[in-house]
Amino acid sequence: MHFHYIYNILLNVFGNIYTLFLVIIKSPISDISDKLGPNDLPYKIPIHPNLVHLTIGLFAIGIAFDIAGAFYPFEKRIFRFLAFPVTRVGFHDVGWYNVLAASFITFFTVASGFFEMLLAVPIPEVKSILGQNAISTMLWHAVGGVAILLVMISMTIWRGYQRFVFRKDYGRQVSWSYIFLGSVILLIMGLHGSLGAWLASDFGVHITADQLLVRGEDLNQIFQ
Amino acid sequence: MIQATLSYVVTGLSELYPIISSLLPPLNEKNLPWIDVIHPIVVHFVIAMALGAVVFDFIGIIFKKPNLFEVSFLNLIVATIAIFIAIVFGQIEAGLSNPYGVSRDVLNYHSTIGWSLAGVLSIISGWRYVSRQTNPQVLSKGFVFVDIVLAVLVCTQVYLGDMLVWIYGLHTVPVVEAVREGIL
Repeated sequence: MHFHYIYNILLNVFGNIYTLFLVIIKSPISDISDKLGPNDLPYKIPIHPNLVHLTIGLFAIGIAFDIAGAFYPFEKRIFRFLAFPVTRVGFHDVGWYNVLAASFITFFTVASGFFEMLLAVPIPEVKSILGQNAISTMLWHAVGGVAILLVMISMTIWRGYQRFVFRKDYGRQVSWSYIFLGSVILLIMGLHGSLGAWLASDFGVHITADQLLVRGEDLNQIFQ
Repeated sequence: MIQATLSYVVTGLSELYPIISSLLPPLNEKNLPWIDVIHPIVVHFVIAMALGAVVFDFIGIIFKKPNLFEVSFLNLIVATIAIFIAIVFGQIEAGLSNPYGVSRDVLNYHSTIGWSLAGVLSIISGWRYVSRQTNPQVLSKGFVFVDIVLAVLVCTQVYLGDMLVWIYGLHTVPVVEAVREGIL
């Protein structure tokens, strides 16, 4: 009985200390908040979502052209019928150079993504369609992004070896396993990209209008 | 007589309206009949392929790798197909976006340049197809200029689209909510 009483006092004291620290320890972003705009960035338009166009577009179409190159014997009659002169080598060239370019640009996509995520202030108490909160979505998107970069680089090195070494003398420049894995990666990329899209559309990260609305400001006056 | 026919047609149509609208999925909290905006996804393939084609043209010229001109050409074909799909979804989603204030003007510019870009890309791809018929290994010097114009147009268009999303937040939950509450 007596013991229980002391325990309650201790709990109360430590609980108060804890809430005190919650007040004192603020987000590190607050140190530079005077340099940031209403979208929590030092510039108006985030960079990462723009570089993502290049990463996804180049990688997806690269894989698509390798698939087109792999099934070339079935397609060539159609292309002849359409009077559209193409070559199998041409398709595989697109497959190789697009994936190469995607890998190069994705370092910048990931770097800008991390910069902008460190400055992200998502709208609190929101859940995505998957039932995730903002921080879970951000962590999955961040770790997933680095993982996908690693996978893309590995795929590009593999693609290069197939082009210049393993399948140098073959008409079909890629193995079926490369095509299969590439397609699986595209599906994962779709889900991964959706997480990123929800950070904007649901959690309002780096969107000027959303951030101002949550702060209760009058958009009609700001945007006239 | 005419008036009677007209009123008959109008009441007939108005009775049809709930049936037609029930065929479309209900609008969600982003004011969309589908989960997420589709236009920004389709647009990946226009932006990446058009800018990629420009970069591959320049690398092909500088490092004398003529097979890159074929890579550019095929990427341009993909961009041209993708832009028409992007316009279809862009028009549907623009129609549901409830633009407010200055974003109305931005959306108008974005639509105008978008439609123009479809024409520009089609002409460039067609021109490329013709010039490629004689010798795919040679790229006429004029294309350097065309490439620069294309890159500038695409970048302008991307910037305007970015403004609609990242400044005005069209089709994002808080903005749709504000519009439905009558604040915006």
